[in-house]
Amino acid sequence: MKQTFKLGGTLAAALLLGTMLSSAVSAQTLTMGVRAGPDSIDPHWSTLGSQAETLRHVFDTLVMADENLQMKPGLAVSWKPVDETTWEFKIREGVKFHDGSDLTAEDVKFSIDRIPQVTGPMSMTIYTKQVKETQVIDKYTLHVKTKVAAPTLPNDFIRLFVVSKSIGADARNEQFNSGKAAIGTGPYKFVSWEPKGDFVVERFDGYWGDKQPWQKVVRKEIPNDSARMAALKSGQVDMVNYVPATDYASMQKDKGVDTFIADSVYFLNITPNVKETLPKPVKVDGKDIAANPLRDPKVREAMDLAIDRKTLVRVVLEGLGRPANQLMPTSFFGGSKALPEKPYDVAKAKQLLAEAGYPKGFEIDFACTNNRLPGDSAVCEALSQMWARAGLKVNANALNGTVFFPAQQKGEFSLWMSGWGTLTGEASYTYGSLVHTADPASGQGAFNKQGYSNPEVDKLLDEGSRTMDDPKRRALFEKVTEVSMNDRALIPTVQLQTVWAAKKGMLTIPPRVDQETLAYEIKPKT
Amino acid sequence: MIGFFIQRILQAILVIVAMSVIVFVGVYAIGNPIDVMIDPASDQALRAALIQRYGFDKSLVEQYFIFMGNMLRGDLGESFIYRLPVMGLIFSRLPATLELAISAMLIATLLGIPLGLWAGYKPDAISSKFIMGLSVLGFSVPTFWVGLLLIMAFAVELGWLPSGGRGPVTDIFGMKLSIDSMEGLSYIILPAFNLALFKLGLLIRLTRSGTVEVMSSDYVRFARAQGLSEGKVVGLHVLKNISIPIVTIFGLELGSTLAFAVVTETVFNWPGMGKLIIDSITVLDRPVMVAYLILVVFLFVLINLVVDLIYGQLDPRIRVKAAS
Repeated sequence: MKQTFKLGGTLAAALLLGTMLSSAVSAQTLTMGVRAGPDSIDPHWSTLGSQAETLRHVFDTLVMADENLQMKPGLAVSWKPVDETTWEFKIREGVKFHDGSDLTAEDVKFSIDRIPQVTGPMSMTIYTKQVKETQVIDKYTLHVKTKVAAPTLPNDFIRLFVVSKSIGADARNEQFNSGKAAIGTGPYKFVSWEPKGDFVVERFDGYWGDKQPWQKVVRKEIPNDSARMAALKSGQVDMVNYVPATDYASMQKDKGVDTFIADSVYFLNITPNVKETLPKPVKVDGKDIAANPLRDPKVREAMDLAIDRKTLVRVVLEGLGRPANQLMPTSFFGGSKALPEKPYDVAKAKQLLAEAGYPKGFEIDFACTNNRLPGDSAVCEALSQMWARAGLKVNANALNGTVFFPAQQKGEFSLWMSGWGTLTGEASYTYGSLVHTADPASGQGAFNKQGYSNPEVDKLLDEGSRTMDDPKRRALFEKVTEVSMNDRALIPTVQLQTVWAAKKGMLTIPPRVDQETLAYEIKPKT
Repeated sequence: MIGFFIQRILQAILVIVAMSVIVFVGVYAIGNPIDVMIDPASDQALRAALIQRYGFDKSLVEQYFIFMGNMLRGDLGESFIYRLPVMGLIFSRLPATLELAISAMLIATLLGIPLGLWAGYKPDAISSKFIMGLSVLGFSVPTFWVGLLLIMAFAVELGWLPSGGRGPVTDIFGMKLSIDSMEGLSYIILPAFNLALFKLGLLIRLTRSGTVEVMSSDYVRFARAQGLSEGKVVGLHVLKNISIPIVTIFGLELGSTLAFAVVTETVFNWPGMGKLIIDSITVLDRPVMVAYLILVVFLFVLINLVVDLIYGQLDPRIRVKAAS
């Protein structure tokens, strides 16, 4: 017993000494306070954004994304279609895994084939569903055969993490979490992780890319906003992500803190249900009516005109956003630069409602998410007040995601608002899912719960998904954006912005549109 | 005695069955967990495949009996989110919560009982009034707010203590504990004090009212007449006679602190069980919810059992009744 205590004491002393030493060389250590972390160290387990963000430090993807989510070479140096249904990827030579072995096309094939076997509820198969089979041509050449023409395959492979073939087919979460199977080619080697706790990595000196300035990186998961900000202010962490709007305002005056702002891929969109009958009928003069007013384009236009987007950004979001006129940034593949800025005109909205047969407006329920994205419930309440000015009675109801998503899936909402991020940087991801007619057979329109169906949009999307030529496909998707936005299949409101904060003068954080916080892009200030 | 144990265990099993039914029906009423967990880019075929893989296409009754069947074989299942055995996940968090809850209870007891005794012994003294004022603050001010104030004062402004998280851990008797090093202790002080505040107020008031009542009783007068020192009168006769309600409250509070220290754990980012259960609820991770609540039921049954045994030690009359 005494022995144990002695040992415990020595260990404690050693640890204390260790932490003192590590703080002495803290210039080499980056400690981040992040809102969310991974669910597993297996990069193929989940498509969760915070999972990908964390594991990018250890594993590389075949194709990489720049700060605007446009493709750049990753473990593949180049890719090109060799025929309608075959993509050729040239694998980077001289890349080493953390265990010292070389990366070859076999490892990439292994990674693609492994995904369907291991994924959980946030299944990675959404990124490999177009793949029919993979063929290794030589050590550094891989052919990916697709079921039909798949021009967006390289976009999907932005999330294709490559693991070492040596881990074997049976590696599960336990082997990854213990570090045994966590062998990647990334800039950092895995050290340790605890669910909802700290994720620790060390610099990998054999990395194929730029040499990393940080010897050690610690990502502390601190989901509570005020706890995370306190950790920065007390100096426990060097930087934090997702600074709330209210703290951002006070940080402007704080001399000890630097802030960094970026546009995000997340947009808050309103979806009007345009099915024949609404799940809950709207009321005119307190009486239920059978018709669905949202089917009338004039009503949708009136609701759109009644939204004062500039006020939403300035007042509700404390300036951390931009007015939106489509569902993704215009710089993305298929974003339209031809669409005008959305006007704000209450008088015209009232007039349109009268023309549509609702001079006294109507009463409707409006559901939104609560705390899913910054400002979502505040925007929701502000919207119902803006619509009140146009004569509509909108009962805003902000719901927890646990309640919201199942009810949305079951089609229980008449009018709702939720966030959407175009994480692949490309239009078919968003418009194919939200505005294409729901068609389980082809997998299109999976999140089109509003019953929107426009043959012209469907045709353009279907043609786009077969067109291998980039400029042609871009033109088709731009048209999709324009037609569906003019139809108001969804009504975009604002694009959200993200804020990071760091200790004054310590480092620079390059803004990323996907909100990812990546240690290998953060540079110490000299 | 054995009959007493069997009765308690039967009670626990009944509560567990009732609770698991409630959780199952509750989660089922909220909706399909897949819709909360699924990636927005999934198509309908994938959603259907996942629903089948997790067995959500089966009827509620079927899902329930599959779960209970596995539980009888000692398998509580795997978390939907982490795909790790649920029990391992919960037990990896248990030491953190255990040391936080016990530290908080120690602070509350070691401060609360002496202060309460003093306030009851000298009810009219100014110091007693001050103590009572503090106790009111203790349980009327919201925990999260006090927690934030503590962080602002001691971590951000003064910089004496860390603002959150847990210190370095070492393996002690197979448990990963952080309270054996000075650094570890510096992390636990603020959250433990924050968690202790409510219980501190409660214990002060409970001890004081008991003391006031007992001080005027006959046996205290006789003890004094016997010539016993005041220290002995209070420490022996008064304390022993007021201890039954204190032990009851102590047991209940220990149980609820272990199970539901959620607010403090969130504000101080303490990696305990409370945060795990909240995270599981927000993603409808049913296996973790059920397993956690089963553990909580067991904890409460166990603590109540110990409390009952202590009653017997404190008051021989209870022992006699139990034996007969």
